[in-house]
Amino acid sequence: MASKPPKGHFNVLYFASAGSYTSKQVEALPAPLPLKDLFGALESRYQGFRASVLDNSLVTLNLTYVDMLEGDEDESSIVIIQDGDEVAIIPPVSSG
Amino acid sequence: MHQDSERNGAADGDANGKDGHSRRLTDEEFERYSRQMIVPGMGKEGQLRLINSRILIIGAGGLGCPAAQYIAGAGVGTIGLVDGDVVDKSNLHRQVGHATSRLGMKKVDSLIEHLRGLNPLPTYVPHAFHLDAQNAADIVARYDVVVDCTDNPATRYLISDVCVLLRKPLVSAASVQKSGQLIVLNCPPTPQGVVDGTPRAAPCYRCCFKKPPPPGSMVSCGEAGIMGPVVGMMGVAQAGEAIKIIASALHIPPDPSSSVSPETNLGQPALLIYSYDLASGVGPYTFRALMMAGRRRTCFACGEGSTLTLEGIRAGSPNYEQFCGLATSINQTRLPPEDRITASAYAAAAARGELPPHILLDTREREHFSFGSVDGAVNVPFGKLLVAAAAIKRDGAPADTILPTTKPSLPDDAPVFVVCRRGLDSQEVVEKLRELGVDNGGKRKIMDIIGGMKAWRDEVDPTFPFI
Repeated sequence: MASKPPKGHFNVLYFASAGSYTSKQVEALPAPLPLKDLFGALESRYQGFRASVLDNSLVTLNLTYVDMLEGDEDESSIVIIQDGDEVAIIPPVSSG
Repeated sequence: MHQDSERNGAADGDANGKDGHSRRLTDEEFERYSRQMIVPGMGKEGQLRLINSRILIIGAGGLGCPAAQYIAGAGVGTIGLVDGDVVDKSNLHRQVGHATSRLGMKKVDSLIEHLRGLNPLPTYVPHAFHLDAQNAADIVARYDVVVDCTDNPATRYLISDVCVLLRKPLVSAASVQKSGQLIVLNCPPTPQGVVDGTPRAAPCYRCCFKKPPPPGSMVSCGEAGIMGPVVGMMGVAQAGEAIKIIASALHIPPDPSSSVSPETNLGQPALLIYSYDLASGVGPYTFRALMMAGRRRTCFACGEGSTLTLEGIRAGSPNYEQFCGLATSINQTRLPPEDRITASAYAAAAARGELPPHILLDTREREHFSFGSVDGAVNVPFGKLLVAAAAIKRDGAPADTILPTTKPSLPDDAPVFVVCRRGLDSQEVVEKLRELGVDNGGKRKIMDIIGGMKAWRDEVDPTFPFI
């Protein structure tokens, strides 16, 4: 689904309602980017994305969960999304 | 004739001793379960655990049907099914445990009829009503493992909370449109409030999804659509996880004195994501296994200092409906009456030729629009409009470039009418267009058509193909 991001970029994968909101499944954004700035960067591209989707989503970096919610300065501020990384935005899905 | 040999006698004793479940399999069981019992790691021991276990499947729909089929086929001794709905024709493309001949029947009864055909040995327990805060704990307490196959956020949080308090492993999955997710929660179950340990205690649903999304952003299969094989895949995977938990006794916390290796419980919880791309010829689907963290220290339900109790839940605290915003989402009105027009008033004015040249913006998804639309309507899906609005705001482009081009081009005070499926998105679009300045400081009227195309079907054209 996602090819490698161009040099100097990382991929963001949009699942479920994140994909509907952005009309994309994947997008390359410039790296490096501090993890704590991720939601801000996405909000500036998709107005209202944060409140509708991001704030309730689970986020992974290179297939591993990262904590965006507790957001205390010590942890999320030191994580930097690097060139070639893969971030996934996973909103809760409730249907079945 | 049976492989009731002494070779595994000691292990049988360990595995089944607690409940006195070391016994011979009947001829019927032996024959029926032989193909799974010879799988390495399963054996008679695993089969007896399945036979002596009780699994609760909540939801008898797109996830519940395939999950129940495999759980029944595998010989789980007691299978409870919870669902208050009846079988509808629009369910059948994915809810494979029902049948055209059983339309209108309670889903739990229809599914049990199907399951008995597959395997008459288990005890099937119908709970033909929806799970709620009053009945949840009493039902869940009667089972060993819970499989969440429900279709709404409030019930998902309720089930997770009750499973934390009653220490039941929870196999949770969900699916909409072309993607699905699956996670095993609370396994092995750890007492509420205990976070640390080796390994760290397993997460609950709230540890993963702390807050529900705003109402309206979380659409149901009925509204957003669902591909049968996608939800089916997730339901089958749920059965796989539930069977594995029981057969391998993963739900029993590691006992240091036991001969069972503690490593079996050391796996880090993973969230399985399945996505399926209708447009892609090569690589038609992807699976991703995402490594999750353990319990969240501050989790409302399972974290340190949590005050959640079963008595509280029964008494209405927390209020799940309110938490998920369901109480306010119905008949949501954002706009004052002067900015709105009923579908019938629009239709009547259009028929009498009283409307000036105007733009009728239909913000439904392209697929919905393709089944039918009002004459002259132009389709710009809601998501695309929001993205365009954000781009205009960011780049400072003229506000009216967000409107579809018309021929002949209309004056800059030509009114805009906005219609969607049920009348919520359209109100947001009216607000957004105003915010951008598309109304030219009030010169151009921007109106919401109340109740969307559903109202059009109800008030104007009963033959309109509304999905």
